[in-house]
Amino acid sequence: MTKIVNLSIAALLLAGGVYLYADDDEHEEHEHKRSAVAKPMTPQEKSTAALYTKECGACHFAYQPEFLPKSSWDKTMKTLDSHFGTDATLDPQDHKTIQNYLASHASRYDRMTGMGGAIAIRISETPNFKHEHREIPKKMVTQADVKSFANCAACHTKAASGSYREREVRIPNYGSWE
Amino acid sequence: MKYLAFALLFSTSLMAASPEVVQYMNELSKTAKAENSSFSGFDAARGKEIFTSTHTGKQGKPMACTSCHTTNLANAGKNSLTGKVIDPLSPRANPQRLTSTKEVTKWLKRNFMDVYAREGSAQEKGDVLTYIMKN
Repeated sequence: MTKIVNLSIAALLLAGGVYLYADDDEHEEHEHKRSAVAKPMTPQEKSTAALYTKECGACHFAYQPEFLPKSSWDKTMKTLDSHFGTDATLDPQDHKTIQNYLASHASRYDRMTGMGGAIAIRISETPNFKHEHREIPKKMVTQADVKSFANCAACHTKAASGSYREREVRIPNYGSWE
Repeated sequence: MKYLAFALLFSTSLMAASPEVVQYMNELSKTAKAENSSFSGFDAARGKEIFTSTHTGKQGKPMACTSCHTTNLANAGKNSLTGKVIDPLSPRANPQRLTSTKEVTKWLKRNFMDVYAREGSAQEKGDVLTYIMKN
């Protein structure tokens, strides 16, 4: 029985049911609901997700595509030759695969309301992100062990699995965020 | 000719790169020769100079390969922008290195752009790979 339970948990995890914004406080966005009964990923989907994590995660945290809408990812993929100051170009096949992956997993919500029509390429410039992090003192973010808001996993201990609950936060050299 | 191929195989088997990367370096060597008739083989010392010298990079700021990879290739490095740990470049410290031409060409293109704000020549790429192999 334990085995079956373990297996189904594994299946759920593999299904990539990301719990974005599943905060402890009640929250307006409930994207995770649509993946609550997500189908397990096919081998094809698994290899695509692995390619994304390998390629984009080589230099920085592999942000879940659900954090930005398709228009943002399209803009990012069009400008990889000058990606936040570095050349992040990919071979044409991988570029296409990753672009499609981002497009199909992008947020269905417009996360840029209030940005005056600008297309965000940083998750940290979206109003929702700013709201969620408004109380964090700057020094906690700019310290050497974090560097910037781009480094989700420095504080969100389960960020890699797509979980950003407040009780999982451990800020380096400061501890929990209560 | 057969002997040359054999000698080449033998000498490269002492170096730490997979057959496909060795093949890639042989192609670089041909291109280097075509571009410069006095070219007489890759050189780790020139590669070291390429790797350790500072240049005005893509961002218009001083940058070197060592800014991220450090001067000891057997050690892990750190992405100077994001802080993400970079596994050692030395194939002796990290057997995954120099095993895939796809990875090698991708990073050479990107990192020459980042540090030199241009792509590397065939000779420069071969020199830097030779330096990495010997470290």
